[in-house]
Amino acid sequence: MVNFTVDEIRAMMDKKRNIRNMSVIAHVDHGKSTLTDSLVSKAGIIAGARAGETRFTDTRKDEQDRCITIKSTAISMFFELEEKDLVFITNADQREKSEKGFLINLIDSPGHVDFSSEVTAALRVTDGALVVVDCVSGVCVQTETVLRQAIAERIKPILFMNKMDRALLELQLEAEELYQTFQRIVENVNVIIATYNDDGGPMGEVRVDPSKGSVGFGSGLHGWAFTLKQFSEMYADKFKIDLVKLMNRLWGENFFNAKTKKWAKQKDNENKRSFCMYVLDPIYKVFDAIMNFKKEEIDGLLKKIGVTIKHEDADKDGKALLKVVMRSWLPAGEALLQMIAIHLPSPVVAQKYRMEMLYEGPHDDEAAIGIKSCDPEAPLMMYVSKMVPTSDKGRFYAFGRVFSGKVVTGQKARIMGPNFTPGKKEDLYEKTIQRTILMMGRYVEAIEDVPCGNICGLVGVDQFLVKTGTITTFKNAHNMKVMKFSVSPVVRVAVEPKNPADLPKLVEGLKRLAKSDPMVQCINEESGEHIVAGAGELHLEICLKDLEEDHACIPIKKSDPVVSYRETVAEESDQMCLSKSPNKHNRLFMKAQPMPDGLPEDIDEGRVNPRDDFKTRARYLTDKYEYDVTEARKIWCFGPEGTGPNIMVDCSKGVQYLNEIKDSVVAGFQWAAKEGVMAEENLRGVRFNIYDVTLHTDAIHRGGGQIIPTTRRCLYACLLTAQPRLMEPVYLCEIQCPEVAVGGIYGVLNRRRGHVFEESQVAGTPMFVVKAYLPVNESFGFTADLRSNTGGQAFPQCVFDHWQVLPGDPCEPASKPYVVVQETRKRKGLKEGLPDLNQYLDKL
Amino acid sequence: MANFTTDGKLCIERELEISNTEEQFEDLISRFDIVETCQWITNNNFKTVCLQFPDELLSVSAKIYEEIKKKVEVDLYILGDTSYASCCVDSVAAMHVRGNAVVHYGHTCFSKSNIPVFTVLPKKHLDVEETIKTLLQHFNTDDNVKLCLFYDAEFEHCIESISKHWFQSYPKSYISFVEIEEKPNRFLGRVIRNKDGEEFSVEDLTDCICIHIGSRGQTVFNYSVSIAASEWYLLDPDTRTVDRLEETVWFKRRRFLVEKCKDANVVGILVCKLAGAETKDIISRMKQLCKVNGKKSYIVSVGKPNVAKLANFPEIDIYVMIACPENDLYSARDFYKPIVYPYELEVALNANREPYFATHITDYDQLLPGRRNHCEIDHIKETMDVSLITGKIRETKVDTNEGTSTELAEKQNWALESIGQSLQDRTWTGLEQNLGGTEVKKAEEGRKGIPLQYSNEPE
Repeated sequence: MVNFTVDEIRAMMDKKRNIRNMSVIAHVDHGKSTLTDSLVSKAGIIAGARAGETRFTDTRKDEQDRCITIKSTAISMFFELEEKDLVFITNADQREKSEKGFLINLIDSPGHVDFSSEVTAALRVTDGALVVVDCVSGVCVQTETVLRQAIAERIKPILFMNKMDRALLELQLEAEELYQTFQRIVENVNVIIATYNDDGGPMGEVRVDPSKGSVGFGSGLHGWAFTLKQFSEMYADKFKIDLVKLMNRLWGENFFNAKTKKWAKQKDNENKRSFCMYVLDPIYKVFDAIMNFKKEEIDGLLKKIGVTIKHEDADKDGKALLKVVMRSWLPAGEALLQMIAIHLPSPVVAQKYRMEMLYEGPHDDEAAIGIKSCDPEAPLMMYVSKMVPTSDKGRFYAFGRVFSGKVVTGQKARIMGPNFTPGKKEDLYEKTIQRTILMMGRYVEAIEDVPCGNICGLVGVDQFLVKTGTITTFKNAHNMKVMKFSVSPVVRVAVEPKNPADLPKLVEGLKRLAKSDPMVQCINEESGEHIVAGAGELHLEICLKDLEEDHACIPIKKSDPVVSYRETVAEESDQMCLSKSPNKHNRLFMKAQPMPDGLPEDIDEGRVNPRDDFKTRARYLTDKYEYDVTEARKIWCFGPEGTGPNIMVDCSKGVQYLNEIKDSVVAGFQWAAKEGVMAEENLRGVRFNIYDVTLHTDAIHRGGGQIIPTTRRCLYACLLTAQPRLMEPVYLCEIQCPEVAVGGIYGVLNRRRGHVFEESQVAGTPMFVVKAYLPVNESFGFTADLRSNTGGQAFPQCVFDHWQVLPGDPCEPASKPYVVVQETRKRKGLKEGLPDLNQYLDKL
Repeated sequence: MANFTTDGKLCIERELEISNTEEQFEDLISRFDIVETCQWITNNNFKTVCLQFPDELLSVSAKIYEEIKKKVEVDLYILGDTSYASCCVDSVAAMHVRGNAVVHYGHTCFSKSNIPVFTVLPKKHLDVEETIKTLLQHFNTDDNVKLCLFYDAEFEHCIESISKHWFQSYPKSYISFVEIEEKPNRFLGRVIRNKDGEEFSVEDLTDCICIHIGSRGQTVFNYSVSIAASEWYLLDPDTRTVDRLEETVWFKRRRFLVEKCKDANVVGILVCKLAGAETKDIISRMKQLCKVNGKKSYIVSVGKPNVAKLANFPEIDIYVMIACPENDLYSARDFYKPIVYPYELEVALNANREPYFATHITDYDQLLPGRRNHCEIDHIKETMDVSLITGKIRETKVDTNEGTSTELAEKQNWALESIGQSLQDRTWTGLEQNLGGTEVKKAEEGRKGIPLQYSNEPE
């Protein structure tokens, strides 16, 4: 039963200081979706009794079946804070005067690393994050990854220790042990936060602190949770201590002597840690009484904690009774919603410091100021972070966050894709927004308009955007920054319809698939093959299933997963390469050389990019990579696609007409960088130097026709004389396992060309973490292999890390790269064998 | 080497196999059908006749000229160095000398011409019995499997013997005979008949196994891609080997190029054939297709196309080449921008056409009104979709100015806009005076010599 109407929500949307946009992030299986259910149950969308069993935010059938979140889902909730709690909100921008209600927009995101692009998309539209950690397994790989991403996006975190029921019931941890576990997790989280956030930065201090109430404890499955605030409230009156002071006392090195009634900072024989005494002891007692069926004790305890059992629950016992008791004593929704309302920033607060991270344009134009002040009267600025399939096949809701102004049904707006540049028309469409909608889990509701600070969906803009984009009414607006994903689509499969005549349907399906997932790539290659590329095997599996069942609706044949390679060079060209134009009147002299380590990555990350001021860029290259400063200033272009990790540098001196042929040389370079000489794969990490050029004096004889093909030939000659190599993608693989299984891991990794670079024990647990580099090409079936070799005890998480040279010379028959080159050439319908240098290199 | 190729060097350095004319003078008359040629000329009462020779037969051209001259009273011209491909009749060259008719020698592609033509097919020896033996080894005489025999036109002279043997071994099968006359069932110069001489169209071959006797080349390639048969085999009579022909990789690549056509904003219509009224029709059809799809088109005529010539127009996104189907430029990968068949542009831009094709139409004649594969062009609606090649939004913008609205229409020439945009990206915008900005320097010695190699060039 929904206990608020759309009109009520709409009214709340205007109270921007009472809005909280937040995502729930965690490692896979730490209980995000289940925990989210307790929140939803509190906000009243599904019945309270079913919390913990429903996975409300897992809207897809396979999500429910597999119990794994695949897509992030948004829900809006409404929650009123009590008068006594309102005092905790001190910042004036965190609450409208005289308004107690809060509108919470929550996005539940997947935990598996293969879907972390969904997390990225969720983080972009929210301001705060509830980081869920399973207190039994502690901070895991993915916890760190998503937390790091959150901090980088300037998202404020709060922490929740989940699965306390397991710690108590299964592991039977002592109170002090449990405290130590909590303490360690808090520390771990704060270490990560400190690594990526500067306390003096615009976000200020973002550390989580139990004594401030920004850390919650509990069990999502059983539907109970608390922060120190809840317990302090219970004791504050009794002790006659100020609530805030008491909260400080209940955490850390604070010990209480029950006899002397004195607090101490040190442990001695008489006193006890306050957290254990006042927080954990009562919980332990309840657990003990109920689970051990101590009937007499139960009644007394229930009276003490002020819980009355409802009639229908009277005959329950054991776990079922425990759930009921704990849920009524420490309702999870209440505690979490308080944490959210008090500790997470409102859009007004967050957009102030997030604007500079979000907006590409000048920081003082109308759009920037609108975002910064979260002004509903400013021009509209909305970022669409993902597309959500509708029931209407092939159409999508554009899902995103309004940062400035209002988005209104029927409004005419500018829809700008990621390739839009101000002043140009590429990737820009002026269209009407057909409808604005509110998205709540499985349901959508139409809504007239949505003001800034809120999350909503749009109908009718999906066809103008591929995946993401900016929607604005401001004519001079720049794009909002595109999202940077922590994973890359490096695993590929070729798909074709079982019945060849279904190809058009497959193509349609691929287009839809490309839209529906923030990261998947659907590519029609030069060879005519259709490729689906994803982050990992699981990601691809889900994508292909969607493609087959929802998007294309035809039976599909899939190839085995493969990786894409890159072509590079190992050394500088061993000779000056000369190529003559077809009319023999123009001559180009060039050489290729490998880029220094780190530079291709710098270009990938945009730290070195074509839009930089050429002087600053040259300075950077000179300082970091010892490039000659005059040469570094004369980088003609990046490629492929004008942005890739290869460069063309003009090292010539005093060549006449050189600037006149630059465009043609650049075109030839883009061509060669996209289709390398060995197997027509992209180049990576190659620097080409132009040393000299001889040109015909008549412009007509040095046109594009003479220069473009010649540049390509010359670059090919450069590559062939510079020890060509292939590069393959490599995963960073983190494996968690007990000590006994470590040996098995080494065996599997060795067989798969992987190498371990770190092995450590997780403090306080018998678990080990092994970190290794593993070529993506060797990772197929890795999880299953690992499980069978470790008795199912090792769990790997693989995420793309870097490109690495595939050892061996591709020109050497019988080497592995040679085989790869030949296979690729065959697949692409190219002439088999090796490219012939004489075809590209000319003599004077 | 009838086809035109990309490499100019090949043409210059190519060695021709020139047969020794002295030896074969005796059978020259029968080899080049001189009697029949003279008969044809006298019957039709032609006054000026051109003899068109491919390069490798130019050495015998004079002898043939003399022989014909001896027998008929007629003005004869020898045509060599054909403008595009020597397999096609060069009617333009014939018109230069006001010729009434052309006698075509050498390999022919059987494409139509607007001038009377007498085709003298080349003749090559074939050991018919050996060939049939090879056939029998590979294909059993099972009645359930339908077979169809194709052969290179140079074996036409021994077709009687071939067909006799063939129908003896495979009585229920077909032969695709060379047919020089225009007929309704004629397809790429062939007509399919069975033992009793009944004619069949190519559509009847869908469940057939087709076997081609001859060498691997464009001819058999065109048949294998444009005739839907269950399987295609090539029998090379010299080596007596049988190879299965499969072009799935080629088809995949062509389908990719169809997508590329949809992505293109500017289309170059590359004219590489002059003869025939169809050429004009197909050009205007291609233009119309581009227009209804809001694409800009240019007609490009550069003689024999090569990489350098076509790269002079970097704004053109794709070329559609109007040429005799017997050439390998369509599949060449060296061009800066790809070249497609007219049929492929049709598939991409004509919404009435089936978007998927498993057989190709290499011969553009078939696309024209009244022909086998004609398809109406309708006005299309504005559409948006994603290109899987670039990963970007692909918009089909149609000129909507045809409406009767009196409002000032915003000028919407999408194609022109996109050209303008690509020009904006150029860094070279012409000579700049840069007055006062250039340092004053003493004159230096420049380059010396001729452009092929200057005397003071770097090593």
